[in-house]
Amino acid sequence: MSAERLPEDGPLQAIDRRHPIRLTVDGRAVEAFAGDTVGSAMAAARIEIVGRSFKYHRPRGLFCMAGACANCLVTIDDVPNLRACTTPVREGMRVRRQNGWPSVDRDLLRVLDRLSFLLPPGFYYKLGHRPRWAWPLVEPIVRRVAGLGRPPTAPDHAPRDRISLHADVVVVGAGPAGLAAAGEAARAGARTLVLEQEAEPGGELAIELGIVDVREPELAGLAGYRLAARLVDEAVRAGAEILVGTVTIGIFDGPVVAATDGQALYRVRARRVVLAPGAIEQPVVFAGNDLPGVMLSGAARRLLHRFRIRPGRRPVVFAASLHGHRIADELRAAGAEVTLVAPDPAAPPMPDVDVLPNTTVVAAAGRRRVEQVVVAPVDGGRRRSLPCDALVVAGPLAPATVLPAMAGAEIVFDPQVAAFLPGALPPELTVAGAAAGMTTVDSAIADGRLAGLTAALGGRPSIPDLDRRAVAGRRSLPPTRDAAGDGKRFVCLCMDVTDAEIRWAVAEGFDSMELLKRYTTVTMGPCQGKSCLLPSVRACARATGRDEASTGLTTARPPWTPVELGTFASDRLVPRKETPMHEAHSELGATFMWAGEWRRPLSYGSPEEEVRAVRDAAGVIDVSTLGKFVVRGPDALTFLERLYPVRLGDLEPGRLRYSVMCNDQGAILDDGTVCRLGDDEFFVTTTTGNAETVDRWMGWWATAWGLDVRILNVTGGYAAVGLAGPRAREILARLTEADVRNDALRYLRAAKIAVAGVPALVLRLGFVGELSFEIHVPSGFGRHLWDAVLEAGTGLGLRPFGIEAQRVLRLEKQHILVGQDTDAESDPYEVGLGWMVHLDKPDFLGRQALAELAARDPRERLVGFTADPAPVPPEGAAVVREGTWAGRVTSCRRSPTLGRVIGLAWVPADLARDGEVIEISFDGARVHATVHLPPFYDPEGLRVRS
Amino acid sequence: MTFPVPCPNCGPREVLEFSYGGEARPHPGPGANFEELLRYLYLRVNADGPGAEWWFHRDGCRRWFVATRDTRTNRFLEHGAVPAEA
Repeated sequence: MSAERLPEDGPLQAIDRRHPIRLTVDGRAVEAFAGDTVGSAMAAARIEIVGRSFKYHRPRGLFCMAGACANCLVTIDDVPNLRACTTPVREGMRVRRQNGWPSVDRDLLRVLDRLSFLLPPGFYYKLGHRPRWAWPLVEPIVRRVAGLGRPPTAPDHAPRDRISLHADVVVVGAGPAGLAAAGEAARAGARTLVLEQEAEPGGELAIELGIVDVREPELAGLAGYRLAARLVDEAVRAGAEILVGTVTIGIFDGPVVAATDGQALYRVRARRVVLAPGAIEQPVVFAGNDLPGVMLSGAARRLLHRFRIRPGRRPVVFAASLHGHRIADELRAAGAEVTLVAPDPAAPPMPDVDVLPNTTVVAAAGRRRVEQVVVAPVDGGRRRSLPCDALVVAGPLAPATVLPAMAGAEIVFDPQVAAFLPGALPPELTVAGAAAGMTTVDSAIADGRLAGLTAALGGRPSIPDLDRRAVAGRRSLPPTRDAAGDGKRFVCLCMDVTDAEIRWAVAEGFDSMELLKRYTTVTMGPCQGKSCLLPSVRACARATGRDEASTGLTTARPPWTPVELGTFASDRLVPRKETPMHEAHSELGATFMWAGEWRRPLSYGSPEEEVRAVRDAAGVIDVSTLGKFVVRGPDALTFLERLYPVRLGDLEPGRLRYSVMCNDQGAILDDGTVCRLGDDEFFVTTTTGNAETVDRWMGWWATAWGLDVRILNVTGGYAAVGLAGPRAREILARLTEADVRNDALRYLRAAKIAVAGVPALVLRLGFVGELSFEIHVPSGFGRHLWDAVLEAGTGLGLRPFGIEAQRVLRLEKQHILVGQDTDAESDPYEVGLGWMVHLDKPDFLGRQALAELAARDPRERLVGFTADPAPVPPEGAAVVREGTWAGRVTSCRRSPTLGRVIGLAWVPADLARDGEVIEISFDGARVHATVHLPPFYDPEGLRVRS
Repeated sequence: MTFPVPCPNCGPREVLEFSYGGEARPHPGPGANFEELLRYLYLRVNADGPGAEWWFHRDGCRRWFVATRDTRTNRFLEHGAVPAEA
């Protein structure tokens, strides 16, 4: 056991030893401090195996400590796949390590590591597919054994939010470049927002104790962390806002930057974006490079400085990049016996550090953790073993190009810097700092200042001093050599892909990065390529004999960091509309239902009694939700004639007509009534659900045809009630002085009269098959009208009725409900409404298609049917013929009036004959029904005209 | 994904306020034969580049207009306008 918490405090520590925090890891109590992350708490508790790998179930430990790899994914309070290294500890947290059976410490599935020859790249395309019946048995095993945490089964009640932000300049990354850019942009007057994924701004600089060489007088001579604080201060004073702990998910058209802090999803709209995501330390490929105890230098530095944890007493540092000496010195200062393995033949000696120049690491070895490091001279030669308790790899820094690529930057291999860098950029984007190839803090600050000004001013200024400093920082990185060695050499830690597997896949013909990615899943794991893109590109280049430049990268796609699904599923506000009579319905004990965005009464207790009341006496229904439009103007008639298949030219003022509305395909869009109020003025109603669609539809055609017509949507402006039943006229007569007798106000006529003392438009209709009046009043009078009608019906048997009763009533008349009885392809001929299509009108929407349809026999028809009173087939039940599906039931109810089951169904046209017996299948039951073409109730339509 | 759409009434506003109305192509008219109708209804230009499109300012002034958008960049080449004849 090697990692240990140092007793002394340090200047950069995040932990607060005065506030202990208790959590459990696999049931074991673990003590941590406020400021710890789950990962550092596990390290301090000497839990070295933080999880088992995806495919081979190899033990894995903390590796990057920066959220860039996927080694430390754990389940916290039943939420799987959270990064231990960046998740702050909370009192009482229950942490479970993942992917071990029966436990992560004693994982029997580690046998898969030995059987890896059975699991070649793409093995799931090869194994278990023959014979064919095998795969359904194999697949669940593969799924169970492979992979990450188990999805939670309990509902997610975590609070979520969705926040829209606006800024002139959004800076992604608060390292030296990002902070300098933010300060400069804000000083230039831009509203500036900085998104930083870590809990503290400053990036790597924030954990730098040494003096940093910066050529700005006011920043010179400062220790790194003080310089970071100075840059933060400068940016904030200039007016920039910094959101920490907020990881950027992706950059989208706009530009819009999507980010999350784990609770809210931020949608940040920016005029310009500065990307300063820095560089990501890359693993080096050697045998056993995934053993617990092997970690990147960034992990060692964070453990040491932030959490005061020394990763080992006798660590070996592998200086595969320039940063090796620094971490070696820091570990030495923390009291470790350090050996530095440096491929550089000119590596200088260090006090109290054993430096091995011209040497490279061939392998890390050990049973459950690294116990020794095998090293050899760079050009080959005798290998020897160094015992150790940690191997710290100072890996090469790869500019983080994924976000720039998502934002539309071209990514090219820059031979000068020997790295992939953003090339041509879209105009709204700037990339700064290490991500743009800067290798020093001074150049990153200079480049950041230029980027901030570019973003704020809309063009890159030429400031010779800054330009010089930025150019000076674009130094070439020394080439990294991936070493050989026996054993598994991992290129991709997330998905357990080794360099041997890359070679294997290339030999099978998958020789481009995009193909390799799909075949071996390299770069497709939860790290999203952060820790494996460069190693996999190098492995591919080597296996194909190409160079990095011609090998290229894979396509960058969001999310940059895995995001909990709940973040995207956060609650949205749902509109809810209530009619002016809503409270009256509540007082009457109505049960409500959703009708689009509306709340409508389903019934007031007994739909059956409501039906009987309408048939025997009278009923009143709130129809305020109907779509209502006033169409006005010199071209109003022309417009409506072109919109509806029914003839309207002969419609006299004061009359109305029912019609469907068709699209160019001849399919039914909606139905409703058109009432002519005057020569150039019409009142049009639509169904509740289609009001918005029809509004758009009418607006579109009015614009396209260029007609002089105004369309006013008065859906919310008018309340309406339907008063129906044999005694409806008696009730209406009590409310108005106007003459409403049958010869004064006939069927399909309209009248503007005063009802209950308020101005009303009364339409005589018959949707429910009785003498009916639809009374429209300005919505402010809605409640008054409702109450007045109910009062006028006292002693006459009047009852309020809801949607359920209305559905039964209209079904007894076989009146269709658009959208329930019809679908997107139903035409008027199929549903028996062909009579209203006037093909002799010269031009209307759908005319050509309807003419074509009129000449053909429909394959299916919508027909009525009756059946025995029980059982009632559900809507959607199948109509079957000779054992196969032949149609479907769209509406079905037991009719209180007829005492039988009645319904509407789509049936093959040859069954659409009166008296034909059809078979309906549902829930294993079969019911015989009889086709009934005319309306079930009052087929002559005498009652609506009475 | 979002980008500004040039509404002739309101100026550039976020695309989230708009509904896309499809490619703007001339209606074949009442005299068209069946094949012309099918072509209008079902065949799209699907331009890889600039194309005229219908847009509806749903959450704004509720105006329909035609604007030319480059489908590769989502940038509009000209301000939206109501067509003289479509």
